[in-house]
Amino acid sequence: MRLPTPVGSRVAESDDHFVVDIERFQGPLDLLLHLIRSQDIDIFDIPIAEITAQFIAAIEGVERRLTLERAGEFLEMAATLVRIKAQMLLPRREDLLDEEDPRSELVRRLLEYELFREVAYLLSDAEAERALHRGKGYVEPRALPDRSEQPLELTMDQFLEVALWLPAPPAKRPHRAPVQPITVEEKIELWFKALKQKARVPFGVFMRRWKTRVHAVMSFLACLELAKRGLVRLRQDRHFGTLWVYRGEDDKDR
Amino acid sequence: MKTTRIVEAVLFASETPLAPAEIARASSDLTPAQVEEAIGELCREYEREERAFQIYPLGDGYQILTRPECATYLERFDSITRTQRLSRAALETLAIVAYRQPVSRMEIEDLRGVNVAGVLRNLQERGLIEVVDRAEGLGRPLLYGTTRRFLDHFGLRSLEDLPQPEELQITLRAER
Repeated sequence: MRLPTPVGSRVAESDDHFVVDIERFQGPLDLLLHLIRSQDIDIFDIPIAEITAQFIAAIEGVERRLTLERAGEFLEMAATLVRIKAQMLLPRREDLLDEEDPRSELVRRLLEYELFREVAYLLSDAEAERALHRGKGYVEPRALPDRSEQPLELTMDQFLEVALWLPAPPAKRPHRAPVQPITVEEKIELWFKALKQKARVPFGVFMRRWKTRVHAVMSFLACLELAKRGLVRLRQDRHFGTLWVYRGEDDKDR
Repeated sequence: MKTTRIVEAVLFASETPLAPAEIARASSDLTPAQVEEAIGELCREYEREERAFQIYPLGDGYQILTRPECATYLERFDSITRTQRLSRAALETLAIVAYRQPVSRMEIEDLRGVNVAGVLRNLQERGLIEVVDRAEGLGRPLLYGTTRRFLDHFGLRSLEDLPQPEELQITLRAER
């Protein structure tokens, strides 16, 4: 991007060109180099007033966008630029013509930084190139063996201590006889019986009575079957609310 | 057993680059020079047979790695972890450490114009840099240098493989 902006042009004009995303920059030197290089400015003859104005415009509100420390780095550079600008304005003494240019230290730093920035890009390319080659051992390691599988190592005393500390084993679970198989048809009959007495029955009553999963499933299937045939209607006014089973219209005719 | 097969077996079994001297430990009558020779022969063999892998020089050693053309196919496997790319801040810091080593944190910060404490810690954790010395003078600051893994990470044989300043694309506009 070449900007034919002469030195001392209005800052407001250049503002538009330097709305930069400060987070993108690695620091004040990176930003300063961007401003210089993107405008094709001669780095050995930096128009310091213009660049200072652009730099300050670019870091506008930096203290809100970056951490205090990172913002400080940009602000420090702004101060350096302002100091150089002031030194440039001072009349130079005739007898000190070979006095060092106030910009020279900054230029040296910029060039040195630019060199390493360039190397960083080359390293990035080398890294990408290397990443195309894979050696063995890139496969993720297996999960560690379950600790409970590892052999126990403890003394008899330790074992006894733990054994005594443990609560007594719970009483044996009561023996359960296998439930009689039940069919959907039987459940349908039960629903009919229940709905003859009441216009609506909460689905839960059948759960409470049988308390086993098979019965619950069969009751539910029976319900769905009846609903499908249009013999009952199912109502639930909210998620996980009571499921009501209503007598269907057809039911009256039975 | 033929020397080439012994060298091949050792390289095949290793997950990291091995120096010829390390490979030579496989057999009492094997010298590093013979290992180098065998590696050259194996390279030609793999080339001729168009194998999916080749022996690459990394740091002062060698490692069998897949050829770059295979990368797209290998990327599809979840079990293969993506090599984590370094950030620009990390790369710039590494560049300075690589060229200026042994170098102190202050020197790096002066060059980059930013604080690098976090980046240095990160690079150290990844094994790309290490503390190599302490400087003389106030506070005896730690001096950092690059590691063998640094060379491996960037596919370099030695630090001499790094681009030389005169090869860089930087235009010094006043000299035009």
